[in-house]
Amino acid sequence: MAYWFHRNPLKATAPITFELHGVSTNDVTRKIFSDMRTSRTKLLELLVDPNHTVEILERTSNEYFALLQGLYQQIDPNEPENKLRKVLAFKWSNTLLPNPAVEARDAVYEHVSMAINVALWYTKHAAKLAAKDEPDMEEAKQVHKCMRTAAGIFKFVKETLVPKLIDSFESGTDCDTRVLDAYIKQCTAEAQEVTLARAIELKHSSGLIAALAYETAQLYTDADSALSSLDEKIAGKWRKYCQLKLNFYTACAHSYNGETLLAQDKCGEAIRGLQEAVKMYDKAEQLCKEYATAKGTGTTARPQNHLFFRKLGPVVKRTLEKCDRENGLIYHQKVAYDPPHLELRATYGLVSPEEYQNPSLNPLWTPDAYSKFDVSRAPKPEKKKADDKPPSLAPVKEKETPMSDKDPKNVSGCVLS
Amino acid sequence: PSAPTSEPGADSMRGDVPVDEFGLPQIPQSAK
Repeated sequence: MAYWFHRNPLKATAPITFELHGVSTNDVTRKIFSDMRTSRTKLLELLVDPNHTVEILERTSNEYFALLQGLYQQIDPNEPENKLRKVLAFKWSNTLLPNPAVEARDAVYEHVSMAINVALWYTKHAAKLAAKDEPDMEEAKQVHKCMRTAAGIFKFVKETLVPKLIDSFESGTDCDTRVLDAYIKQCTAEAQEVTLARAIELKHSSGLIAALAYETAQLYTDADSALSSLDEKIAGKWRKYCQLKLNFYTACAHSYNGETLLAQDKCGEAIRGLQEAVKMYDKAEQLCKEYATAKGTGTTARPQNHLFFRKLGPVVKRTLEKCDRENGLIYHQKVAYDPPHLELRATYGLVSPEEYQNPSLNPLWTPDAYSKFDVSRAPKPEKKKADDKPPSLAPVKEKETPMSDKDPKNVSGCVLS
Repeated sequence: PSAPTSEPGADSMRGDVPVDEFGLPQIPQSAK
């Protein structure tokens, strides 16, 4: 599914040397800082390239997070707050607001920011796998798993880390729970798209497909709603993506629901549902154009070029023509005034975020090692002056992945089956 | 009971229906 997914950019960050001479007072404390510097640098190098394996990314991120947590978790039971938490200043850009960057003296902020980048990597790795000419079953499972993993990380950030932050952050930053909610819903929806593609290809019942398509549309509706109170200039493009997908999947739901209704001899209702599907599909096409020119960050998906998208329109129109014909010849039913109410509960194939397993604290962080850090020797933060420029960071140079524009050679146009 | 050998969601049952790794019925309606 080349260019099927919208992807926001990685967050940029300033290097952290962890060179706090005086604070680290012996070999163990120096090793902790040295290991943190090495694993942070390595992780940042891996994140720019979605071609790496999940195993290496997972191992490196776990190594870094296991060390990083020693800067904010309680290690000495007599200290209510970890003395090292505010020693370093971490600077990060935001996915929707590249500049100015936001600086915070809080190790939890570093964990939040890096974890978001790790989750974004999973989404980019999944997009890369999905963009192959003919992804096989194993790759489809990996795409599904990666999207669920990403959703689980975003959920962990929102529910566990963000409430621990010292500072409050501006609207539209990645610490904004509306932004995190949108990520959680988008990742869950995209995993469900994989399941839906499989359900279509395996010719599951129209009722099952309609319900799954409807639930997927609902997830995109939730993602769009989460972003609705943000400035259009920063979230507009991402919202258009959510809107085009929600219209596409609602059209899909009406189309398959129409087949179910026809099988139940409810031809009048089926016709009205299919008319609605045509309307929603046309709206999705229009939104594809608006999305391509909308303001905001992120890669531009091209769903309108994809066979899966292109095929639905003619299918819906053909089914509507068939219903019209059968109604004229057999049923003679009045076409319903209102479209059928899609209150379809999917029983099969629903996706939930994969619960994130936060690594435990690195064993180097013993109470004895912690006691050897001397924060009285930490450099004092520089006072901000009125004419200081806001911090800015260059965007991350992400490795581009070639994507195939070839049409898949199967029935549905959904290659993930 | 012995520990589960497969990852959550893999080849399990939903009610009486065996489902695949994606949570879909193993035998599509069309094949019945």
